[in-house]
Amino acid sequence: MNQAEKLARESVKVHELGTNWLRDLFLDWDKVQMAAVLLVIIILGLSPRVVQSPYYMSIIILTVLYAYVGITWNIVAGFAGQLMIAHLIFVGLGAYTTIVLLERFRVTPWLGIPLGGVTAGLLGFLVAIITLRYGLKADYFALFGIALMTVLRVLFMKIKFIGGGEGIWLTFRGESLEKMAFLTKAPYLYLGLGLLLVGSVAQFLIYRSKMGKYFLAIREDESAAGALGVNTALYKTLAVTIGTAMAGIGGGFYVIYVTFVDPPGVFNLGYNVEMALAAPIIGGLGTLAGPVLGAILNKPIAELMRGWLSAERAGSSLIVYGAFLIFFVLFLPRGVVGLIQHPYERLRRRLLTNLQK
Amino acid sequence: MQPDILIQTLINGVFTGGIYALVSIGLTLIYGVMLIINFAHGEFLMLGMYASYWAFTLAGIDPYLSIPLSAAVLFGTGALIQLGLIQRILTAHILMQILLLLGVSTLLTGLVQFFLGAQPLTLLMPYSSFGVRFAGLVFNLPRMIAFVASLVIAGGLYLFLQRTKTGKAIRACAQSREAAQLVGINVKFIYMLTFGIGVAVTGVAGTLISPSYPTTPTVGQLFSVTAFVVVVLGTMGNFIGALFGGLIIGIAEAFGGLLLGSDVKVIVSMMVFILVLLLRPQGLFGRAKT
Repeated sequence: MNQAEKLARESVKVHELGTNWLRDLFLDWDKVQMAAVLLVIIILGLSPRVVQSPYYMSIIILTVLYAYVGITWNIVAGFAGQLMIAHLIFVGLGAYTTIVLLERFRVTPWLGIPLGGVTAGLLGFLVAIITLRYGLKADYFALFGIALMTVLRVLFMKIKFIGGGEGIWLTFRGESLEKMAFLTKAPYLYLGLGLLLVGSVAQFLIYRSKMGKYFLAIREDESAAGALGVNTALYKTLAVTIGTAMAGIGGGFYVIYVTFVDPPGVFNLGYNVEMALAAPIIGGLGTLAGPVLGAILNKPIAELMRGWLSAERAGSSLIVYGAFLIFFVLFLPRGVVGLIQHPYERLRRRLLTNLQK
Repeated sequence: MQPDILIQTLINGVFTGGIYALVSIGLTLIYGVMLIINFAHGEFLMLGMYASYWAFTLAGIDPYLSIPLSAAVLFGTGALIQLGLIQRILTAHILMQILLLLGVSTLLTGLVQFFLGAQPLTLLMPYSSFGVRFAGLVFNLPRMIAFVASLVIAGGLYLFLQRTKTGKAIRACAQSREAAQLVGINVKFIYMLTFGIGVAVTGVAGTLISPSYPTTPTVGQLFSVTAFVVVVLGTMGNFIGALFGGLIIGIAEAFGGLLLGSDVKVIVSMMVFILVLLLRPQGLFGRAKT
């Protein structure tokens, strides 16, 4: 019996067994991952009842943000396999859009954050059509992104209107729903969790859609996908535009929360690894639960390792994240989710055979 | 605008272009043979600068005399990184290759910042700003030396690849990894050698520019952007192309700096980069993809 037949028979048998939503959920790996993500979101949502210290609260909020930004990078790099390395460009652009609109034009962040997504998505679209044209080597995309990040850093330092080298601050201090400003941390956490929920659902829907399947086909073998009739140029551009626009929205939330943005901070390759790349790589690039699971591990492990390195000396976080990248690429290229997937598959098979008896 | 200024700008551009070419040769060599873009390229340049700085500060060795030292140290570092890390992912997805080298780059920057500090170090030699005056024009000595050195290194590498047996083996690996293996070439050794040489040349470039540029842990980032533009312009893998690409970018930046102010000249390289990608993505010396 070949594999396809086996699978077909399996699915028929399972179908005959009637419906049991818990069992159906367990048998679908995508839904299992999604359930894990929702569980994490619920636990994080309950955390203000337990966690008192503002320091730990801010780590939790950053974790939520890293998870969200990780999802946006996961769509571009993990699903579609596009080499958008300097992803933080788009987070930075979204942050700048939101804060400049608020500080210079009094536009509420409720509008400014989506507009941040628009500007970031537009830039992502431009970058994609310049670098992803037919026949151009994929590596140019990575080169171009890194060059663009350096250039934006220099350029933004020069423009006084958006704060120049000193960066730009939120001037309003106090409580205002319209300005998305709060005196306690909890409202920021709920906003961030809302964003993360929307992001994870969007990621799930993209993954299960036809478009998502095209993304995966392009990642696995672009020329084969093209030969089968996938419009690769279109879907590569779509992946980049969607991912960068979502990153821009994350940037808007980031600046509202940290109240400050400056060019060397946000157009920074080291921070790029920490904020955008680390979570999906730790959790499992291209998987649904990867960015969220990776983000929960990201900050705690990094802080622990920095503790061993005796601390706040310059460069310690760069050492940690450099080591993370090397370790996961060499030894755990499929991340934590890849690690869990194996025992899960075995359990699933056992359940299936039990059900068939 | 006086003609003097224009000629002086041209001369400065040519010399800076020589430095850019020098910085790019190692990158293009590694890509040409291994098809791997060394995203840690700028960090090796930075290590070369630090090697010369410390050789001078601790042992009083003049930067120009520390060239063999930094070449040896960087060759060793490069060969180790190739054998220990890159060799394992040669057949992996290109994203994994890039992420690994990005990790190396981040780690190297972090280690240098951690142990040597982030403050800029300046290697002030008596000849650092020494200029030869000729017919009303100034020729900055360290940059002239770097310029000549880049010609010598490019020429030397060219002869090495064309005339020696090892060079021939390297070229064979560049053409086809499998075929080279079939005729009995030790591809692993050749890759180690190539990566080592590419990194060593970059380290020497760092040494040669250390009298003219302040040394910081992040100095590599700015130079690597220029190097990326230069190698794409001069066709990836072609180091005679890198020489011309370097000169073009150097001259373009010099005039751009004259018009816009020297601190935004990196934007000029970016414009060239965009133009090349739009109009001639295979570079000046490449054949169009069929």
